[in-house]
Amino acid sequence: MNAKFFDNWTNQLRKGVLELCILNDIRNRKMYGYEIVRRLRKIEGLIISEGAIYPILSRLKRQGLVETSIKESPDGPARKYYKLTEQGEDMVSQMNAYWQAISGATNSIEKG
Amino acid sequence: MIILSESAKKSLEDYLRQARTYLRGSRSVDANEVEQNITEHIENELEGAAEPVSRDALDAVLKKLGRPQQWVPEEELPWWWKIIFRLRSGPEDWRLAYLSFGLFLTGFIFIPFFLVFLTASYLVSRAAISLSNNNLQIKEQKWLIYPSLIVVNVILFLILLSWPLFISINIGYGLEHDIRRSFYQFRDDLHYWIMACSFIISSLGLWWVIFAIILRRKNNVLQMLCWPFIDLITKKLVFCLWLVGLIMMMAFTAVGLCYWLWVPLKMLTEFGRL
Repeated sequence: MNAKFFDNWTNQLRKGVLELCILNDIRNRKMYGYEIVRRLRKIEGLIISEGAIYPILSRLKRQGLVETSIKESPDGPARKYYKLTEQGEDMVSQMNAYWQAISGATNSIEKG
Repeated sequence: MIILSESAKKSLEDYLRQARTYLRGSRSVDANEVEQNITEHIENELEGAAEPVSRDALDAVLKKLGRPQQWVPEEELPWWWKIIFRLRSGPEDWRLAYLSFGLFLTGFIFIPFFLVFLTASYLVSRAAISLSNNNLQIKEQKWLIYPSLIVVNVILFLILLSWPLFISINIGYGLEHDIRRSFYQFRDDLHYWIMACSFIISSLGLWWVIFAIILRRKNNVLQMLCWPFIDLITKKLVFCLWLVGLIMMMAFTAVGLCYWLWVPLKMLTEFGRL
């Protein structure tokens, strides 16, 4: 019972955090899909299935938060690069501020 | 571009098919874009692997990518997809297979509505295969899933194979009077029907030649229609159809032409005798 509760809770938390991590990851420079996966897989417990990142990227693009550009690659076929749009920049700033506030408050409650 | 072994290729096709099925259900993602990303991911992961890449090596990458069912949250799926998904996932994964077979049998009980039940059973069978996680599961359920798929595909194949026959026979009957009045070669009943049959069979042959070329290309529409039996359409079968079509077309065009030339010749001879 407890294990199931924990699983559900981590699933819900992970979903939102993963989107935040993706947006932050491409905040400073544009990256192609596989590069984002490779960087995020280093964060333990964040990604359960690596394939889940691609539908999130596609959804963020449809929502206008990221945009893509095709660039030739020296290693093979052309790659699709993702970068934040202006709207995405605003959104990630808001999300980061919210995250800071929430995690700060959670830490202070935890410490009593 | 990496080279995969035959079994790895099959495994990748199954995986991408499954991914497509789930992603197309979601309104918030572009299925083609995700599929492209997934393919690129697999190629990057397998870069430097010994070629042809084995199924084990590919499956390790697919395992890390995870099941496509995990990618799209259920709340993003349309209502009809959720119904299928709930029917499909239960204490065991045989519900859709039972439902498909049930609908198929019900069609025999309510014969006037057979086509409706057959169509419903066919759609449920296709959904069951699309949502299936592996080939082993499809093999276990084939006695329940396949009856409607086979019936629909056989009917479809027969229609595709023979539709010019029905059209040309209709033309033959419908325009009989006008044609016979316009051309003296057709005045006699026997002459008309020999020429008409030559036309009907040679046009059927021509269609078989074209149809064989379409089958050989196995385009997306055909794959969608014939799936999951597309692999049964072998190169040998396609070649036989093409060859038979070509022979029919050439032989009966020749018969028609000979008759077209022979009739006036015969009439002239008879006229000369008089």
